[in-house]
Amino acid sequence: MLKIQNLRKTYGNYHALDGLDMEIADGSLYGFVGPNGAGKTTTIKIMTGLLLPDVGRVEIDGIDALTEPYRLKEKIGYVPDYFGVYDNLKVWEYMEFFASCYGLEGLKARKRFQILLDQVGLGDKEDFFVDGLSRGMKQRLCLARALIHDPSLLIMDEPTSGLDPRTRLEFRDTVQELHEQGKTILISSHILSELSELCTDIGIIDAGRLIVSGSIAEITDRIHTSKPVIITIFGDKTAAMKLLKEHRLVQTITVKDDSIMVGFTGNAKQESELLAQLVGAGVPVRGFVREPGNLEAIFMQITNHKEERVVLSYEDESGL
Amino acid sequence: MRMNPVYKREVMVSARSFRLALMLLVFNGILALVALLNMYSTLAQVRLTAEIQYTSFLDLYLFVAALEFVMLIFFMPAITAGSISGERERQTLDLMLTTKMKPAEIVLGKMAASLSTMALMIISSFPIIAMVFVYGGVTLRDIALMLLCYMAAALFAGSIGICCSAFFGKTTMSTVVAYGILGLVVLGTFGVNQFAYYMSGVHTDGNLASIGQIASYATSGNCLYLLLLNPTVNFLMTITRLTGREQAIASVTTWFGHHEQTLIASQWVLISILLQLALAAVFLWAAIQAVSMSKNTGKKRR
Repeated sequence: MLKIQNLRKTYGNYHALDGLDMEIADGSLYGFVGPNGAGKTTTIKIMTGLLLPDVGRVEIDGIDALTEPYRLKEKIGYVPDYFGVYDNLKVWEYMEFFASCYGLEGLKARKRFQILLDQVGLGDKEDFFVDGLSRGMKQRLCLARALIHDPSLLIMDEPTSGLDPRTRLEFRDTVQELHEQGKTILISSHILSELSELCTDIGIIDAGRLIVSGSIAEITDRIHTSKPVIITIFGDKTAAMKLLKEHRLVQTITVKDDSIMVGFTGNAKQESELLAQLVGAGVPVRGFVREPGNLEAIFMQITNHKEERVVLSYEDESGL
Repeated sequence: MRMNPVYKREVMVSARSFRLALMLLVFNGILALVALLNMYSTLAQVRLTAEIQYTSFLDLYLFVAALEFVMLIFFMPAITAGSISGERERQTLDLMLTTKMKPAEIVLGKMAASLSTMALMIISSFPIIAMVFVYGGVTLRDIALMLLCYMAAALFAGSIGICCSAFFGKTTMSTVVAYGILGLVVLGTFGVNQFAYYMSGVHTDGNLASIGQIASYATSGNCLYLLLLNPTVNFLMTITRLTGREQAIASVTTWFGHHEQTLIASQWVLISILLQLALAAVFLWAAIQAVSMSKNTGKKRR
């Protein structure tokens, strides 16, 4: 669906994008994550044709963004991190205007925007002035606007910033619904917990390069291996220590009370094999568990920033 | 044919707004008041002297047309200077640029909407201007020429406003710069001619005095042709020729000294209108480039 190759963009001496390569599969719900200034918005602006890269190639469904920008615009729906609404227009007039920007007119446009307004829960607000809508409603209107021409790729730049928890949940449900209808969706966000619950794939960008990209399962697996295995032993630990020291996948060993914290780089299968070896060696294993990891942990690990530049979860941000 | 979406939206919003109704009321109110007072004074004079001064009605036409021109040239930048920068301030320009709309469609849609507003103001004032037809002296052709002069000036002033609006992110800044450029064109061209005329006078009079001549042959020289850019000069030329009065004003060769009658001077109005239209096209092209160029920089304009 989306293919980005060697994308570079500089603002003066600042390298916003430094050879970004990225691919999004058809039908995926892709979470685009990165600290402030990592290059998320620059990438999105290039994808949507609002910015030209210095070097690189962006292709959507085989269409080159640089050589055929107007064909590409039919494929993309864009929801920015601001509302971008005309206060002096009614909801239906706003939708009709953007429909006509895509060449949709008359009854066809009306039918299309009525379906979309119903889908985002604004069907009964058609005759309201946009000015009178709440923030959540404005954001949903923006989403409906981005879908007016039935794009195959929906790009959302921090769509839930500034929304209350209830509106976030409602918005998330709408996005989920769109994904189930077969739309490919890219969401950039700081709120990792939100993305991990919603997205099928995640890409982490830092300093203008994509550091990690893959399905949630793959990335969770990586997180998994970065956390220690906690083995609780009943009684003497000597046999266990001997076995662990000799094991090729064991990186570190820390003993704390009756537990041994093991830095184990193996996967789930290798974990079970280690457990079997311990039991086979007559070690009285009382507990064997991998410390739970999360996206935030790997994000902080990968981006390696001393200062906490991302909102680790909504609860952290809101102080709840 | 598909109507330009920006034009359609602008016209719809402006037709709904209280501002347009107020502008029409004030504009036509001032024109009507001036026209009626003029007519009242002419009729009062008739009662006293039993003599009808038909030239007074031409004065009425001259005055109303001049007032309309001044209002038009001052309203137009105010209407257009916020057109593109306003979209930036609302953050809707980027949204439009992500659609299939091209920068040229956005700029031309805005310009057409502003011209429509201006045309509405001019057309709504027709009943007041038509008062002069009661007494005759002004033909439909005269009115058509005056309208052409109005439209050229409106397009010229409007395109300056749109161009500034495309280059500056803030409406306040673009309005100030648009009025600055317009002031430079209207007053600056006079200023340059006055200066050239004065300098020529100092030089020529000094030389003539040395050989015993009395008459002055000072002129502003080729600087006179800078006045071709000035919509007010064009308007004065048009209106004074129509009313058939003040022949001295009607020929630009008599301004700032006695210039030779050239082809340009004899076809002044036509050339000036064409030049204004050409410059308007250049300003609009620059505005389109400015909207397109933001893709290269990605920076918000100040």
